[in-house]
Amino acid sequence: MTSGQENDYKAKLIASVKKEVKQVMEESVTKKFVHEESGSVTSLCGAVEACLSQGLRRRALGLFKTSSTTALLHKIAKHSPEAALVSKKVIELENLDPNRRSSSSSDSTTKPTLMKNLSLQNVNLLPKYLWIRLALFEKQLSRIIDYLVTNAGRYYDKDALVADPDYGSILSSLLVGPCALDYSRTKTADHFWTDPPADELLQRHRISSSHSTPPPVRRPIPNFRRSLNTSSDESSNRCQTQHLAKDYVESLHQNSRATLLFGKNNVLVTPPKAGQTEPMPGYLSLHQSANCLTIKWTPNQLMNGFTESDVPDKNIYWDYAIQVRLDEVVYVHCHQDVETGGTVILVGQDGVQRPPIHFPRGGHMLAFLNCLETGLLPRGRLDPPLWSQQSCSARHHKRKRPLPSLVENEDEPKDFVFRIVDSSNHKEILKRHDLMNRNGHVTTKVRAQLGSSSTSSESSTKSFSIEQSCTINDGSNICIQAVCDSMKRQIISRAFYGWLAYCRHLSTVRTHLSGLVHGTIVSGENAKDGLSEAKWAELFVEGVLSDAEEVYKLTYYGGVAHALRKEVWPYLLGHYKFGSSAAQREELSELTKQAYETTMSEWLAVEAIVKQRDKETQANAIAKLSSESTSGEQVPPQIQRDLSNDVFEDISDYEFDSNEDLTDNEDKPKKLKKTKQNTVIYEGSDEEKSKQNETDALPDTLPQQNNCEEETVDLANLRLTNPVLEEASTSTTHTSRIMAEEDEVDLRKFVGNVIVTNPSVDMSNFPPEVQRKCSLGALTEEGGSSLDTLDCIETHGLASPARSACVSPASSNGGVYSTELLETFGLNLHRIEKDVQRCDRNYWYFTCENLDKLRNVMCTYVWEHLDIGYMQGMCDLVAPLLVIFNDESLTYACFCHLMERMVENFPNGNAMDCHFANMRSLIQILDSEMYELMHSHGDYTHFYFCYRWFLLDFKRELVYNDVFSFWEVIWAAQQIASSHFVLFLALALLEIYRDIILSNSMDFTDIIKFFNEMAERHEAQAVLRIARELVLQLQILIENK
Amino acid sequence: MATRKKVLLKVIILGDSGVGKTSLMNQYVNKKFSNQYKATIGADFLTKEVIVDDRIVTLQIWDTAGQERFQSLGVAFYRGADCCVLVFDVTAPNTFKSLDSWRDEFLIQASPREPADFPFVLLGNKVDLEPRAISTKRAQQWCQSKNNIPYFETSAKEALNVEQAFQSIARNALTQQSQSVDLYNEFPDQIKLTNTTNRNSNGDSCAC
Repeated sequence: MTSGQENDYKAKLIASVKKEVKQVMEESVTKKFVHEESGSVTSLCGAVEACLSQGLRRRALGLFKTSSTTALLHKIAKHSPEAALVSKKVIELENLDPNRRSSSSSDSTTKPTLMKNLSLQNVNLLPKYLWIRLALFEKQLSRIIDYLVTNAGRYYDKDALVADPDYGSILSSLLVGPCALDYSRTKTADHFWTDPPADELLQRHRISSSHSTPPPVRRPIPNFRRSLNTSSDESSNRCQTQHLAKDYVESLHQNSRATLLFGKNNVLVTPPKAGQTEPMPGYLSLHQSANCLTIKWTPNQLMNGFTESDVPDKNIYWDYAIQVRLDEVVYVHCHQDVETGGTVILVGQDGVQRPPIHFPRGGHMLAFLNCLETGLLPRGRLDPPLWSQQSCSARHHKRKRPLPSLVENEDEPKDFVFRIVDSSNHKEILKRHDLMNRNGHVTTKVRAQLGSSSTSSESSTKSFSIEQSCTINDGSNICIQAVCDSMKRQIISRAFYGWLAYCRHLSTVRTHLSGLVHGTIVSGENAKDGLSEAKWAELFVEGVLSDAEEVYKLTYYGGVAHALRKEVWPYLLGHYKFGSSAAQREELSELTKQAYETTMSEWLAVEAIVKQRDKETQANAIAKLSSESTSGEQVPPQIQRDLSNDVFEDISDYEFDSNEDLTDNEDKPKKLKKTKQNTVIYEGSDEEKSKQNETDALPDTLPQQNNCEEETVDLANLRLTNPVLEEASTSTTHTSRIMAEEDEVDLRKFVGNVIVTNPSVDMSNFPPEVQRKCSLGALTEEGGSSLDTLDCIETHGLASPARSACVSPASSNGGVYSTELLETFGLNLHRIEKDVQRCDRNYWYFTCENLDKLRNVMCTYVWEHLDIGYMQGMCDLVAPLLVIFNDESLTYACFCHLMERMVENFPNGNAMDCHFANMRSLIQILDSEMYELMHSHGDYTHFYFCYRWFLLDFKRELVYNDVFSFWEVIWAAQQIASSHFVLFLALALLEIYRDIILSNSMDFTDIIKFFNEMAERHEAQAVLRIARELVLQLQILIENK
Repeated sequence: MATRKKVLLKVIILGDSGVGKTSLMNQYVNKKFSNQYKATIGADFLTKEVIVDDRIVTLQIWDTAGQERFQSLGVAFYRGADCCVLVFDVTAPNTFKSLDSWRDEFLIQASPREPADFPFVLLGNKVDLEPRAISTKRAQQWCQSKNNIPYFETSAKEALNVEQAFQSIARNALTQQSQSVDLYNEFPDQIKLTNTTNRNSNGDSCAC
């Protein structure tokens, strides 16, 4: 690098620092303060880092780490106290997270690409350029760089930027400005903010609610009266205090409703309630919401760490906290003091002074007033304006300089009084007066909305205007009359609407909700302990369980002892009948087992074919991939078609069409059509093809095929825990079930044509003689059909000499499966496979062996219910049953019972929509506040966040033991209280977190995220209890109608 | 005032079940891979803040259920998407074949204003596994036929290319959004192009 280039580079580095400094300074002006995580701060640090790493004598200093400037900092810490301070902080921060190396300032000049990767990964961890950042926040950066510049010779090459007499001093002086700024952690409106995770929401809730409500669960059940806006004073008061407290907690964070305009800690205030004279330090903040500006002051005791020891005392601090609405304030008195930073006293409309706010030194009072003035705009303003106090005389000063007297450096302390003028309301009132045919002269000093709450603004503003008019004008009788009339009207209309709402409410209850719960209330007296082993011993007499009612009741109110679940669940699910004898159940089990095994052998046969097909597809794909890689872009068209997986349909189409053209025989098209419907046509390798050609002439018999088939099943059965080979050959039932009978007859004729066993079925697993038999099994019987085969050969042989079509049977008794059947089942198999592998792998029960059991149950169900098919989530429903029973056939039987109800929840049923609609009605009745919130977010009403809850009966929301409890209560509830108990569980979940949901005004996405994060962390017993209470509440409500 | 609105970009991940949608999302957002994920039921999303062209944006990444039967439920999730990520498994040819239907499905359900220009990104996941069934070339050809959508070969397990892929996703989503903002917002957010160019000449001194 020539020296010219190097100078250019240095100039560039300095220019970039200059630019970033400018950016930060601008930001500090426009935003009053700079956020620590602001992008401009990061950029500035980056620019500084680049300057510092340039020409650094790494080798000489022994700095080999990627973060050499951090190492440099630690090195100079010995000599420079400023560096020592920052170095200490860096080490502290890094030690907080022991996993992290000091990658905070990476070596940007030598490894740019690496740094790019790192920077993205570090976004959520320690910030980049940690030490530079800290030095900047600690206002030490310029001094540290000063030190480096003066001692440059020791650390830098001669031609380094820092060592350069000009650039070095420019660098350090550039940073003086940014080092004088205040950096804040408070997130501002124009800085993005992320939705806090569920943990943090819970934590915040805990902080804010701890003083009045111990656990969130204790919250009383929402009262339906609330929907009529007549909530009891007691509850609303509680809510208010709680919300007040919550607001303070929330105000530490930026939130969507209020913008934080100003925040300063260690502002001294003497709280009126504290009964002490010493001012307390606290956090002063200015918030702008849609309605008004609010000033809040929170004692430091509340802000800083809620340690355990503080808890008893903490509550009193909530009383000290101050909240002032700016529209209640008329005057702002400012007292300057050379010693301290200044004092602001707010004087309300009533003339009462709010406690003085003492700002620390450093222009904070001015900054506060500045923010205040900005915040008041456009509806209000400070009078006189802060920025152009003397603008009348000197117009050119306008908006350029603050009040000279407010600048601290002034020797002489001065006091100032500002009046807050509300311009918009003022006009509104004038308008109102006009409307009332009044010509009175309203003084401009009127301030509207005195003490009026934001909720009922219209009426209160009106009443306020009466007072105004009384004081202002003598001839106000007419006006009063008019206002009284309007008030009367309002009162009457309000009463009417209240009554109307109540009627609607009751009609909703009657029309929508009466079906959700049972009419008769079954008392839970003496049932709280559930079905314990002692109770079981009482009820289960000589192997007969007859008192169904008692079992349901006990289960509903207290659950089933874990050891008993295996015995009780089949009863609850309806598999065992109450009153059945042990022998009857034994017989049932035996039958269940036999049926299960029969079904299993059926689908195992199909599975074998599917697997074979998969293998070939895979092989094709790989072959294609390799041919593609060798032959470049030229891909034989035929192979491409093979890969499209539509091969099967394509071929049969070809077959059919070509034959229609070729033959004049009238029978042919008909027969061929059957072929198309009922056969499986395979892609095989060319060896197989030639083999088929060779064997075409060989006659063979069906028994031989059977033989071969049995072998196939045998081998495929390896996974089965209870192999049932003998059943395999006898189960022809399935074949006939699938095919129409006439088809079958036709098919028999065709069998020789269409059936060619593909010898490649798990070739490695098959003994040689089986392979031979299979090859022999490939045969043709009829002349006409051999023509078909030839056609097959033609369609394939022509286009791809390397491929061939094989037609394969793989069923007992030479059963043949239709293409559709194979494809459908194959698709299901793949899905089941994928989901079973992923099902609860972290739960101890699901070892490979048990996952196979799960898979067997799932496949058996799907085979028996191919019209329904496998849908994601079914595995989750089988899993808990299997864990309890550890028996495939019993699990299968119970799962079938379970699915009778659950299947409607899956996409082709309509239960989910019903659930959502019911949820909506229930929330409307039982928690109107929540309903309002949901109503205000349109999408919210879709209740998608409940989707998984209902689909899986909360299985994914809870840990296994809780799933068991939930499920048995749901089943028992069907008989005891409600067939829609899941709705009440969902409602209970919402209620438990309602305060968090409401206070954060969560929308559709927020709530989905919240509940997804809360999965498996709910307090199951509390949810169950609340759900039961909700059912009872609704029952009572309906009973009393 | 130089206020910048919070930029939220909605990204939808689609693809057959088991191609690794959840894993990709978690690898990107949480920097970890787990073989413990279950089949996604319903929908979930994660958010992550990223810096794109000197702007901080929040990516809201929606993970969906892979079984197509559940997609009819997805309308609410698809709405307002800024970018759609299609994922397939390079070892499973079927997952590649369904890409067309996923893309069509998305365009129908989300019905973006300019379907032809809507940003898609294709990810071929599980490149750490053998044997490969879909070659890079084939995937690229597909992408070319679909208006040159960007293609990345990723491994959620090995964190291969995941960062780069999502960076591109964020960029495309941002372009999409700023275009639609221009149409409807009187005061579109500024994108400072000058900053980026200066930065680059400064020898990688910036954070992004």
